[in-house]
Amino acid sequence: MASALQQEGRSRARVFDTIAGIALTVGAIAFVMDIFVGRSGFDFGYVQGEIPGFFDATKLTFYATSLAYFGGMGIGFLVGWARAARSAPLARILHDRSALVDEEAPRWETRVDTGVAILFSGVKHTVRRIADGYVEIIRGTPLFVQIVFAWSVLIVNYPRLNQLELIAGIVALTVNTGAYQGEIFRAGLQTVHSGQVEAARAIGLSRWRAMRYVILPQALRLIIPPLTNEYIGLLKASSLLLVIGVQEITGYGRSEAFRTFKVFEAFAMVTGIYLLITIPLSKVVHAVEMRYRIPGLGIQAMGPQTHV
Amino acid sequence: MIRVERIHKHFGRLHVLRGITFDLPRGEALVIIGPSGSGKSTLLRCINLLVEPDEGKVIIDGVQVNRPDIRPEWARQQVGMVFQSFNLFTHLNALENVALGPIRVKGMAREAAEEKAKQLLARVGLAAKTQAFPAELSGGQQQRVAIARALAMDPKAILFDEPTSALDPEYIREVLDVMTALARDGMTMVVVTHEMGFASNVAQRILFMDAGMIIEEGRPEEIFGNPKHERTRAFVGKILR
Amino acid sequence: MATAEATLGRQTERAPFPHASAIRITEALVGGTIFVVVLEVFLGFNLLDPALWSLYGSVFLAGIVRTLTYIALVLPVSVSIGFALGWARVSRFRALAWPATVYVEFFRGVPPLVIVIFASILGPNLFPERFQSVQLGLILGALAIGLHSASFQGEIFRAGFQSVPRGQLEAAQAIGMQPLQSMRSVVLPQALRLSLPPLSNEFAVLIKDTSLMAIISGGELFHRSQLFMDQSVLTGTGQLHWLFIVWTAVAAVYFVMTFTVTRAMRLLERKYHARGLEGISI
Repeated sequence: MASALQQEGRSRARVFDTIAGIALTVGAIAFVMDIFVGRSGFDFGYVQGEIPGFFDATKLTFYATSLAYFGGMGIGFLVGWARAARSAPLARILHDRSALVDEEAPRWETRVDTGVAILFSGVKHTVRRIADGYVEIIRGTPLFVQIVFAWSVLIVNYPRLNQLELIAGIVALTVNTGAYQGEIFRAGLQTVHSGQVEAARAIGLSRWRAMRYVILPQALRLIIPPLTNEYIGLLKASSLLLVIGVQEITGYGRSEAFRTFKVFEAFAMVTGIYLLITIPLSKVVHAVEMRYRIPGLGIQAMGPQTHV
Repeated sequence: MIRVERIHKHFGRLHVLRGITFDLPRGEALVIIGPSGSGKSTLLRCINLLVEPDEGKVIIDGVQVNRPDIRPEWARQQVGMVFQSFNLFTHLNALENVALGPIRVKGMAREAAEEKAKQLLARVGLAAKTQAFPAELSGGQQQRVAIARALAMDPKAILFDEPTSALDPEYIREVLDVMTALARDGMTMVVVTHEMGFASNVAQRILFMDAGMIIEEGRPEEIFGNPKHERTRAFVGKILR
Repeated sequence: MATAEATLGRQTERAPFPHASAIRITEALVGGTIFVVVLEVFLGFNLLDPALWSLYGSVFLAGIVRTLTYIALVLPVSVSIGFALGWARVSRFRALAWPATVYVEFFRGVPPLVIVIFASILGPNLFPERFQSVQLGLILGALAIGLHSASFQGEIFRAGFQSVPRGQLEAAQAIGMQPLQSMRSVVLPQALRLSLPPLSNEFAVLIKDTSLMAIISGGELFHRSQLFMDQSVLTGTGQLHWLFIVWTAVAAVYFVMTFTVTRAMRLLERKYHARGLEGISI
């Protein structure tokens, strides 16, 4: 019909919309920049001069983050495993045991048997509850508190330790990311449908081989996006180390701002560095995720999250 | 009542509808059959403007509706639709699902709308289920609520897009019964379906579509008993095994 | 991650037999008691050391009050902005969607601490002279936390909108609803329900984020506890193990707050649950 005219009107609206979009975005940014910079101008010389200092701070940030990340990965894997494994509740064990009692075995043997089973599952259960508690506490308390806590423990016991602040910071970050990564590992292991385990066993794979050839490959592809997002999140969380005096990016930026009074320049650099790191990394993560995703299977993850 | 003239629709490079024209008088039940991908659902959605045709005219009750100066909502109020996947509003119970249209679109008072909804639910055999939520209803029950929801708008015609294709076999009968009763009561309807029994019993006319075009058109006896075109014959042969 | 637990953890944490939650609570209490016993007996800490609490008690309470104040300020602001952002992101108008995207990308890429410091130092400069004050800096810092959280909440709401099945919108259109009506009566109620689980996690994060105010001397619980520690312990008037007790108490407060909020949200979810509505998917 007159869809030709309709279409023309529609594309005109589209063009206007696009222009408005660009205008609003660029305009807002320009407006904000003008407010901060317009008063006293932007000292580019300062920025140039400070690049080495910020570079060192960035190196420190990466160093601390990476150490904590991989350390935390070990913890996270164990925690995730502990929490993903199913363990039968106590009542069920007792019930099962009494049902499966071997009529001919002497009484004491049955009792020992049951006792061992209870003990074993009791241990599993306790381990699991400890893991639960660990994750809940870390996720329920601010990172600031965790950092200062770690620092205070070290101060009390090893006051003369060299680089105590950095060590305390890395320890706190490790423990923190361990909990979050534990959640990722757990979700990954649990998302692979139990039907897969059954199917794998049904074709004759042993439990270990089922794990190795069926569960783990799928779980691995599931957890890679959230894990990489976790790295980005940890990187941002490392900014909190300034509270105990570590000169990572934000800490260094703040000292610089107070030293030279070039507050905007210093913080522009800090912001710029973080954006330069996180935005490309996020795009890479997204691209990797798109490439390796298993359609229909995914851990709900929405990009790097705050750790605090 | 509903007239469709030379409708064309492209999705990207795909020419989905290639010049469809037909007339639907008031009170008639028209059934459209054809293989998947023939454009049947798209055609239906062009009638109530869920999809905008690229070319051609859609005329409802003498008024051409695919025009920039007419809001698509008007067309949709004249012609109701029942979907293959029911699409009941999950957060509302059956009564609220049916009453929502009258309240929000027609501005009816809540009590009047709910009373009307109760009557319609009774008409489709679900008087006892007014408080049930969609998740608590079987597929057949959900679809009947969907029909009641369409009826609540007092439409001049209703479009059915494969209404029973997503149903377990034991529920198909109850939905077809409701639709048959509607047709006997004189509702103008266009039904896309694979249920040939329904088609031969209820339809006054059948359209066979393939690859975006109407291949053949005629009364059920003609189409099923004595199809003129090769493709019609092939399709009917496969279906009526 | 936090949200993985929210959507997936829940489906596996179902109680298989009655009294499961009672057992959980008992376990938590047992664990807590063991913890306290270990502290008191083996390490000689007295968690209720009167020497400590006589000095710290008022500081503790003042800090809690201030933290709650910040939460009360920041939470509504962040939800409003976050909701608007989510809506803008799914809008077909680029004029809305693009600025919103830039906002979200920016605030998600920068640590909240940076924003807080930035806002508190440079923010007051934007205001006329007579309004500039330390208080303004604190308020702006707190608002910065809200702005940062809003970007994450924007993503949550966006995912909520996008997870409402498309057929719902079609059905609303088919009964003749205009876009705004269908948004209000059909899409929004379902999108909000879908957003609740990840939102409760974000609220927990927000509560913890208030501790960032300490860096700008915000006077909330963490900051005041820090000051107290500096004054009493490090100047030698207090016992070293007070450090341990104080931080445990502080952690416990935050834990109780986040726990309460997440459980409260869970109750809300249960109350408004629309059966048959799937969780948020990408």
